[in-house]
Amino acid sequence: MEMRDRFIDRIYRAALEDERIVFLSCEYGAPGLDRFRADLPDQFINVGISEQNAVSVAAGLAKEGRRVVVYSIASFITLRCLEQVKLDLCAMGLPVTIAAVGPGWAYGVDGPTHHATEDLALMRAMAGMTIFSPGDGMTVELAADTALGSDGPVYCRLDRGDFPVLGKISAADKQNGFRLFGGPARICLVTTGSMVHQALEAARKVAGQGVELAVLDLFRIKPLETHALAEVLDGYDFLLTLEEHTINGGLGSAVAEVLIDYGLKAGLRKMAIADERLYAYGSRDRLRNNAGIDGPAVVDAVLEAAGKRRSAA
Amino acid sequence: MQKNLTAKQLAETARRLRKVVLEMCIARGGHLASSFSCLEILVTLYHGGVLRFDPRRPDWPARDRFVLSKGHAEAAYYAVLADLGFFPSFWLEKHYRRGECRLGGHPDHRLPGVEVSTGALGHGLGLAVGMAMAAKAERVARRQFVLMGDAECTEGAVWEAALLAARRELDNLVAIIDRNRIGSIDYTENYTRLEPFKDKWQAFGWQVEQCDGHDPSQLLQKLDSLLESQNPAPGMLIANTVKGKGIDFMEDDPIWHVRPLQDHDLIAAARRQVEGEPLHGDA
Repeated sequence: MEMRDRFIDRIYRAALEDERIVFLSCEYGAPGLDRFRADLPDQFINVGISEQNAVSVAAGLAKEGRRVVVYSIASFITLRCLEQVKLDLCAMGLPVTIAAVGPGWAYGVDGPTHHATEDLALMRAMAGMTIFSPGDGMTVELAADTALGSDGPVYCRLDRGDFPVLGKISAADKQNGFRLFGGPARICLVTTGSMVHQALEAARKVAGQGVELAVLDLFRIKPLETHALAEVLDGYDFLLTLEEHTINGGLGSAVAEVLIDYGLKAGLRKMAIADERLYAYGSRDRLRNNAGIDGPAVVDAVLEAAGKRRSAA
Repeated sequence: MQKNLTAKQLAETARRLRKVVLEMCIARGGHLASSFSCLEILVTLYHGGVLRFDPRRPDWPARDRFVLSKGHAEAAYYAVLADLGFFPSFWLEKHYRRGECRLGGHPDHRLPGVEVSTGALGHGLGLAVGMAMAAKAERVARRQFVLMGDAECTEGAVWEAALLAARRELDNLVAIIDRNRIGSIDYTENYTRLEPFKDKWQAFGWQVEQCDGHDPSQLLQKLDSLLESQNPAPGMLIANTVKGKGIDFMEDDPIWHVRPLQDHDLIAAARRQVEGEPLHGDA
């Protein structure tokens, strides 16, 4: 099942039991939404292509006790209505969940209009916003459940496509907002969203060359459990961050802040999209390749960090 | 508990509160002209028996909901809320645009009697539409009101909300537009095309009334007509007003949107006028 459908399915099941749950769509569908619309017509509202109004209406509903999910393409439901998110959701602390489909280059060939390559930076700047960036079925269900139980605004970035489940999440993982893959290692790659699969694939490849790579899946970007994160990161000599997002203000920036704040000595290399690689068209693979954040680039970066390969520069 | 004053008493209340608002703005700045533009509208809603509320229980669930979309008219709003006892009147002097700003430069949802924070334009109608939709979903009788500025209708989100409200048949929603024909630096029709304003709202599926926004008897009558209508459309009252109403040198002049009243002679003249004393022949 696609990630967004798994998310919607979770909301659907909760909505069957709780008529306060309302799903607002900005004229945007999903296979998983068809059943919701058919079975719960009073709890589904198509507000039209109007993201600013969608967020204000969601806030008005939430203020009167509804639990609202507002749903659209990630690029539109963040940038178009950022002021509404700040003032109507965050400043009033209202329990509205933004279900944003298509992070990063998920809509690669559709071009910059549909690329959500700034959403983490923008949502991180919103005070009181919880940010989920799930990469598999387990974390997406955790995101949906957390969103429905939250007292404040929640942003969930939902990738397109189906991704294999990566295993259970412990109670500690839920608390921390991250999970760690791999055994003892000198190098750790911190990533988020569906990029975790590419990271784990790279870990398998470098293992064949005798390099151990730990992978940390930071599925909750905000609030960060900085203390727990710093404790884990302190165990490594070198850190890589990997994200399908602008290099300005996203995952890499968040990790860098933790390193500085806690005085950690590990080296850091941020793998993210440089400014000159934004506003491009192309398949997702091609765009990642051009930006130096695809699978082979990750392998190269890890080997370089391990001293197995010289820097290309 | 609610007030239920006659039109004559409402006019007198507005006259009394105009003095309060003037002193607030002389002391601390604030959008005086915008506040004077909508003072009779606010007084009619709150003192005229239109809104159902209880100042001792601001969160009384059955209360009607009001959104001041034009949040920059906060001085008038605070004067009305204080007059009704939502918070002590001394706050107007002690906490308005000062220090910790218990009464800030735009309304905050944490203030007793204020439903939602406003101040960025174009949000209020959407917020009100959401709140009205919630009332429909709960099948409760509470009414939803929102007071908008005319110049904020150049925000696209206003029309997004207008489209949705009509389709959802929000007959529990009444929007009022303070039609003073002035934005921040110019007359609206000099830079945009709101007119024919009534036709636009009607074309969007709203039931529209118009009246003199400084005449409580007309406001009461038109609001009553919209509220009692069997038409399932949301209601719109275009209240024709004068920006800066009550101070002759300020009336209908765009420069007074943000300009503070600082000149001693002008302050004296403004005070004389809101006191209703003769203009000429004074020192």
